[in-house]
Amino acid sequence: MVVEGSLSAQRTAQEEDPVATLAEGLSIWVGKLSDLVKRVVDTGPIRNVINWARMYSLWPVNITTACCSAEFGAASGARHDLERFGVLPIGSLRQSDLIVIEGTITKKMAKRLRMIYDQMALPRYVIAMGDCAMSGGLFHDSYSIVNGAHEFVPVDVYVPGCPPRPEALEQAIIMLQEKIRRSKVYEQG
Amino acid sequence: MSAPPKPVPLTTVESTETSDSGAQTLTLSVGPQHSGSGHMRLIVEVDGDIIVNVAPDPGYVHRGIEKIIELRNIIKSIPVIERPSIIDSSNLNHAWVRSIEEIQGVEVPRRGQYLRTLLNEMNRIMSHLYWLSIYGVFLGHTTMFMWPLGDRELFIDMAEKLTGARITYSYLVPGGVRRDLPPGFAEEAVKRTEYFEKRLKEYDRIFFNNPLFTSRAKGIGVLSKEKAIELGCTGPTLRGSGVDADLRKDEPYAAYPELDFEVSTRPDGDSFSRAMVHMDEMRESCKIIRQIVKKIPAGPIRRKAPIVLPRGVAYGRVESARGECSFYLIGEGGDKPYRARYITGSYRNMAAIPAVLLGNRLADMPTAWWSIDYWPVEADR
Repeated sequence: MVVEGSLSAQRTAQEEDPVATLAEGLSIWVGKLSDLVKRVVDTGPIRNVINWARMYSLWPVNITTACCSAEFGAASGARHDLERFGVLPIGSLRQSDLIVIEGTITKKMAKRLRMIYDQMALPRYVIAMGDCAMSGGLFHDSYSIVNGAHEFVPVDVYVPGCPPRPEALEQAIIMLQEKIRRSKVYEQG
Repeated sequence: MSAPPKPVPLTTVESTETSDSGAQTLTLSVGPQHSGSGHMRLIVEVDGDIIVNVAPDPGYVHRGIEKIIELRNIIKSIPVIERPSIIDSSNLNHAWVRSIEEIQGVEVPRRGQYLRTLLNEMNRIMSHLYWLSIYGVFLGHTTMFMWPLGDRELFIDMAEKLTGARITYSYLVPGGVRRDLPPGFAEEAVKRTEYFEKRLKEYDRIFFNNPLFTSRAKGIGVLSKEKAIELGCTGPTLRGSGVDADLRKDEPYAAYPELDFEVSTRPDGDSFSRAMVHMDEMRESCKIIRQIVKKIPAGPIRRKAPIVLPRGVAYGRVESARGECSFYLIGEGGDKPYRARYITGSYRNMAAIPAVLLGNRLADMPTAWWSIDYWPVEADR
């Protein structure tokens, strides 16, 4: 009985407090407004402009996990030139949108990868490059690796191959761009 | 008017001596997410701008390859052995097949030996070009990133014609090689190496004779001859310190005894001389490739070898792009080895990282560190 009484006393005090009532009403109103903004942004033209900007500025973060980095390097180089898709490796986590997981993920590296993923600003995308990042690949029975990137980060595109050719990585970038083009603005990353 | 006070230096030599208190120094973690580290971490302690302590933290790419080798038969191990350094895969593979052949007592036909040497030298160029491109981008020279990677494709195309794969070939098998030369390969090789040698002159003009590079590399990261020998360095790092040591000459294997080439050494031991050793080796490799396609004898390319490792012990080593790569192999009669110890060039050169960095400025770290050509995947295995 005592507990019930004190609870009801609290409730009446809150109801009578005009500031709290106003703040509550305001937050509901702001919430409704932000829902409205989201709905407006997700309509055709505005969404297209935002997605267009996101599609062609996929900056991958400077993290290499294993030997597929050689083919990532070749893809960034003169013949394949990933920069024509808007892919420019960048050192700063705050300005990057993409992690390309290049090959085998050891247990030691998996923790760091998750930390890097958590530090990146939304929206963020993940490409798992190579068989090892998909399922462990050639090293599936090793004692020190994680069998697949999906065990600790959500993956957008998988690129099979050991190592994948640069053309396969280009295709993955194009697939990711297509995915961004079709998805809603607030549901990405 | 009195004279302005003398500027007080932020860092003095004396302050490094009292750095044990921990108050004057700052510890930085460089890597693994860093544009200048790769798949490893360097724990760098700086006093002002001067590096006073370096602790490499390897193991980010340790995949337990020595254990995996024990679980697979000697042919299935070949792709696993190539992976630590896929930009230099055939050289690592060569050390493996040499140690197996030593236990089995299999003699490789001469044409097979020449084809092995051909792919090894192409791999050496590809590996050095990859190293050079990363060196360029570390120093903020984007042209030197694009050019070597573009020219690397010349050799990748040739290797793809020869073996069927871009960088991971699995071309060397116990007893010989998998494929013979494709038609028209010799003319193509001569054409491409001659073109590449012209490109190397342009590299000299834009990068190696450029004050942008020379002022940052000369006298930076000095590794003396005695120190290099004491630390057990190998490959271009050792030759850059003036030691004439190259397994291709000292302990000739495959077709190297019949080929004419020179071992490049530079006496200074700084970043610049290590870089120039790489450049010289690319020139020599071009010469070797042209000699091979001219002198290659006719005959079989492969002799039948059993997929059995007889009881015995072998030590096979080759000169890979980053130094000596060796296998210590124990067979027990089955198709799997009892134990395989796998030592690569980068693993041995890891000891040189603190030696070249200590006492330098933090801004010189990329120049000094990457000049050792340390490939973490190869070192961790």
